Amino acid sequence: MSMRAFAYQRPASVDDAIALLGTSGASGSTRLLGGGTDLLTLMKADLVAPDRLVDVKRLGDFPDTIEVTAEGLVLGGRATLADVETHELVGQLYPALSDAAGSAATPQLRNMATVAGNLLQRPRCWYFRNARFDCWLKGGDDCPAREGENQLHALFAGSPCVAVHPSDLASALLALDATVRIRGPHGERAVPMAAFFAQPTDDRRTETTVHADELVLSVTVPPLADGARNIYLKAMDRKVWAFALAGAAVSLRIDDGKIANARVVLGAVAPVPWRCEAAERALNGSEPRDEVFASAADAALEGATPLTHNAYKVPLAKGLIRRALASLTDEASRLVSA
Amino acid sequence: METDRLPAVLHVNGDEHPLLLEPRRTLLDVLREDLLLTGTKKVCDMGDCGACTVLVDGNAMYSCLLLAVDCEDRSITTIEGLARDGRLDPVQQAFIAADAFQCGFCTPGQIMSLRGLLDVTPAPSDAQIERAITGNLCRCGAYRHILDAGRLAITLEAAQREKNDVHAAR
Amino acid sequence: MSTLHVDHLSSGEGDEDAYRLAEAESMTPWETHATLDVVGHGHARLEGPEKVTGNARYAYDVRLPGQLYAKVLRSPHPHARVKRVDTSRATALPGVHAVISGEDAPEIPFYENTVLFERTVRYQGDEVAAVAAETEDIAADALRLIGVEYEPLPFVVDLEAALRPGAPNVHADGNVAGEPKEYERGDVEAGLREADEVIEHMFTTQVALHNCLEPHGCTAIWDGDQLTLWESTQSVFTVREQVAEKLDLPEHHVRVIKHHMGGGFGSKQIAWKQSVIAALLARRASRPVQLMLDREAENLAAGNRNPTQQRVRIGAKRDGTLTAIDVRIHQAVGAYMVGGEGSNTTGIYQGLYRCPNVRTEQIGVFINTGPAVAFRAPGYVEGAFGLETAMDELARRLEMDPLDLRLKNYTGEDQVEGKPYTLPDGLRHCYDRATRAFGWRGYERPPNNGAKRRGVGIAAHSWMGGSGHPPGYAWIKLNTDGSVEIITGTQDIGTGARTGLAQVAAEELGVPLDQVAFHLGDTANGPYAPASAGSATQATIGPALRAAALDAKRQLLEAAAQFLEEPVARLSVGDGKIHVEGEPDERATPIAAVTGSIAPHMIQGQGARGPNPKDKTVRTFGVQCVEVEVDVETGEVTVLRVVAAHDCGRIINPKLVDSQVIGGVTQGIGYALTEERVVDAASGIVLNANLEEYKVPTVSDIPPIQNAHVDMPDPEANTTGAKGIGEPPVIPTAPAIGNAIYDAVGIRLHDLPLSRPRLLMAMESGKGEEARA
Repeated sequence: MSMRAFAYQRPASVDDAIALLGTSGASGSTRLLGGGTDLLTLMKADLVAPDRLVDVKRLGDFPDTIEVTAEGLVLGGRATLADVETHELVGQLYPALSDAAGSAATPQLRNMATVAGNLLQRPRCWYFRNARFDCWLKGGDDCPAREGENQLHALFAGSPCVAVHPSDLASALLALDATVRIRGPHGERAVPMAAFFAQPTDDRRTETTVHADELVLSVTVPPLADGARNIYLKAMDRKVWAFALAGAAVSLRIDDGKIANARVVLGAVAPVPWRCEAAERALNGSEPRDEVFASAADAALEGATPLTHNAYKVPLAKGLIRRALASLTDEASRLVSA
Repeated sequence: METDRLPAVLHVNGDEHPLLLEPRRTLLDVLREDLLLTGTKKVCDMGDCGACTVLVDGNAMYSCLLLAVDCEDRSITTIEGLARDGRLDPVQQAFIAADAFQCGFCTPGQIMSLRGLLDVTPAPSDAQIERAITGNLCRCGAYRHILDAGRLAITLEAAQREKNDVHAAR
Repeated sequence: MSTLHVDHLSSGEGDEDAYRLAEAESMTPWETHATLDVVGHGHARLEGPEKVTGNARYAYDVRLPGQLYAKVLRSPHPHARVKRVDTSRATALPGVHAVISGEDAPEIPFYENTVLFERTVRYQGDEVAAVAAETEDIAADALRLIGVEYEPLPFVVDLEAALRPGAPNVHADGNVAGEPKEYERGDVEAGLREADEVIEHMFTTQVALHNCLEPHGCTAIWDGDQLTLWESTQSVFTVREQVAEKLDLPEHHVRVIKHHMGGGFGSKQIAWKQSVIAALLARRASRPVQLMLDREAENLAAGNRNPTQQRVRIGAKRDGTLTAIDVRIHQAVGAYMVGGEGSNTTGIYQGLYRCPNVRTEQIGVFINTGPAVAFRAPGYVEGAFGLETAMDELARRLEMDPLDLRLKNYTGEDQVEGKPYTLPDGLRHCYDRATRAFGWRGYERPPNNGAKRRGVGIAAHSWMGGSGHPPGYAWIKLNTDGSVEIITGTQDIGTGARTGLAQVAAEELGVPLDQVAFHLGDTANGPYAPASAGSATQATIGPALRAAALDAKRQLLEAAAQFLEEPVARLSVGDGKIHVEGEPDERATPIAAVTGSIAPHMIQGQGARGPNPKDKTVRTFGVQCVEVEVDVETGEVTVLRVVAAHDCGRIINPKLVDSQVIGGVTQGIGYALTEERVVDAASGIVLNANLEEYKVPTVSDIPPIQNAHVDMPDPEANTTGAKGIGEPPVIPTAPAIGNAIYDAVGIRLHDLPLSRPRLLMAMESGKGEEARA
């Protein structure tokens, strides 16, 4: 579990850090060190071996705050999961976010792990995480999980890789239609969450469209419309401290007794957070009733292609979606009648 | 690429330790190997168990996933920093009274997690006590007694505060 | 010594010692209802302050001048021939002080007629080479520089596949490990014909990993030709004997020390290869070497609970009377039988219920994975899942309360040996205590809460361990100031043995506990004691210590008689003082006055463990009741509460017994629901040799666990009346949970773990064959 040797630098600004990323030698590699809870485990498992770490933990111009602005909720890339979990306004307005952050990992890890790092973390697939497997995602030819021990793997995979995205927060952010602000050598760009994540391809064997010389500065969640509600539910194989077997993030509002603007996202069913537009279509314009929830859940899992050992995820994901919808609309109907 | 050792001063349990550190060394290894503070335990070395929990600027963290060089200027508290002049911290006292350990290998980490909680939340609920140690595995299965110890520690600490207040008032 | 005598036994049986040193015949057991001063009280652990301050020194915490850190290079293949090992680049790395591999290591015999660095590796994790360097990081760098040429061989990692014709052979002579263990009484086929109902199922149990938080390992120091090992072990004497043998050293040149250890659970009873490797590296480097396994190695190469396949048939009459029990069990031992497996999976089938016709067969199977070793109540945990699940199913079929079916087939005797138990009502008492405290009779199921369904389950056990056994010795010194030192070669593996044993000595000596110091876990410091295994420590060393205390007390009273000019017959010891019969307590004389009067002479007591009864069998029993809640929409199982009643004879320290029971149930919950080693069949590589995906329970997985004390002294078992409680609380938990799940949702799972995926799939396919109306 020992890491290979590397150099360590602490730049003065975000731009300095980005510049250092750009100066990696041909064979060398430089990585940013934030919370370190994913990067260091990748290094200890000998999956990556950067020759330099650039520590961005203390950069004054790398935001670590959580603010409610006119544009919405802004989560600093350097804010920790604990910050998201315990922020009072986040809890009131965006329970999906505080529940997602709070259900991830442990208090210690949440004190360390950052929002940016959480979105950039690599899959937990046990073939990917084991240096003895030269899997496709690591540059190999095929995916050993497809015919192997795939109980934790994807129902929807658009690439040779069947690993699932491990982030709880990412599902909630996608359901809330968030945008990521990214800074690189040529300035900043804003990327909607839906474009931030992308199934890996032969040429880009990662789960995001962030470039190697970019830094995730912050994430902005748009303001909520009146009566909007959101929720994140997570199923694990023990009560706490596990990556999701499946997660469901739902946001919607009730308009004149009918569901509107529904966004349904499943976690841990695909290499990226998985938006279920068919479910959303089944919900929008319908009254919040159990049968509607059931047909939305069925629609969400339409097209799922279970592997040899993960068919249980189909009823599980459906159950989570039905429960999320029931629980959201229960609240909403109470609010309406109050 | 230069991977030579870097000078860094670590502040551990109120003491300053000027060190020359290879960047790749974790806080856990430096505590155990260089500073001989072996109370902080190495179990998984991957952030999966909690035995290496220490307080960094008051927050419970896994020292196996922190670079020691990155802890420069941070205030680090380990299990060795709790008892003063042979007097046990209330959390430590509570662990003995509640028989909250068996083999004792997870115990320093458990105690540090609860210490971190009580430092910011002097009267936590049962749910908060439980949540504070969700990141600390105990293989002997002492959890139920650890929860008892957490509750007992609140009482012991409150009694101690009261005693100190009385002393201060005099 | 007058308290010892040598007893020559005529028995030629291999399992009996030819000679025994035993307690004095005059030593009588404490009476069942005796009022004791120190025993029976919940004293805090003696080592508490060390453990809560981080000062307790474990093998991993030894820090010596010049100490090196060692790491082992392990096979990445489940089966391969090691053709060449090139350590030259590793040797040349600055900071590396010693390297060893099959190329240059002595051919030291090890498991299954192999050697230390075998040229054929038989599981992923098998030792190939090792280095000692100035830091762990440098040692890891050095391992990466070792070049190994492997010739991969066909392998088999699945129990069932290993038995198929044409399966790759783990060892030259096939995959059947050892001799099958067969047992039969009565006529099983006739019993089955006689039955009105027959339950027949295949049950499977998974590989569980001990995951002791302190890994296996040691720190090795040479002083000339004398070797000292600070070892994380349950048995300092076993390690000494085995290391001495492997290194061809006389035993007095090897000292093994274990002050504290971070968990063993059965996996640390022998000298594993790393102890010998550390000693060899330390000798080559002429420096102390610490070799502790990392978590992956710990989970690959330091033991596991064997997986089983249990083909079970149980027959009963309409009224519940059992007519036959038939079981055939295959269990995988891994690549080697390393010693200390001791997994008696059929034992519980043979003895838990009265049944005239029983046939059991247990067959060990080699596969290309790490060796299986004892894991807390080895065999009984696995067997209990099959038997106690089948019994529940039988009760449902017969429309009987599962408790009534068990009571109907109650036995108070050892049917295998044809002897009564020393406590024939022990198990009955456990049924009574557990079900009353739980409210089993008259349990009212709460109305369904949305998708959530409640259910209750029960399971029982009788465990072969816990009786203790000879030999085992203890010494006691009375210092001139009246303080007491206990010296014995036993271990406290986290159970609180120091404290429970000190209570026995303090009780017999008549001194308060704070006047007693305890020295253990050091072969150079005190007489032989066996492995702390088989729930044996309290019941083995307790009586030896009581004998030693009695011996010291006799000498103390003789000295006191002279000092006080009173006849011995009028003297007694209590609360640290010598009391004269008929005189008021205020006039009692402190022990220190007597020990001081003979200074510098010292009183030394010696004691030994006597034999167990010949005409009766000592057993420990237990019953657990569980309530669960199952979410039928998401497959989530929540254990709501557990009530456990376990017989451990006289309770020496109720606080420590609570901890053992709660801890055992906690491990049982993990075994029942989440723990399972996963091996990739295509590569033979273990996918979760870590604490991330091998899921032991967290605090939030564990509900309130009530230990309904069963304080029944067992005076025929030994002179303290106490038996062990270390292992048994883990035995009935998994079947009790499975039975409760069935009660809640009508789904019967026959395979462990009772995982969320399994339950979801079973509910999805409507496998609940007897869905509750």
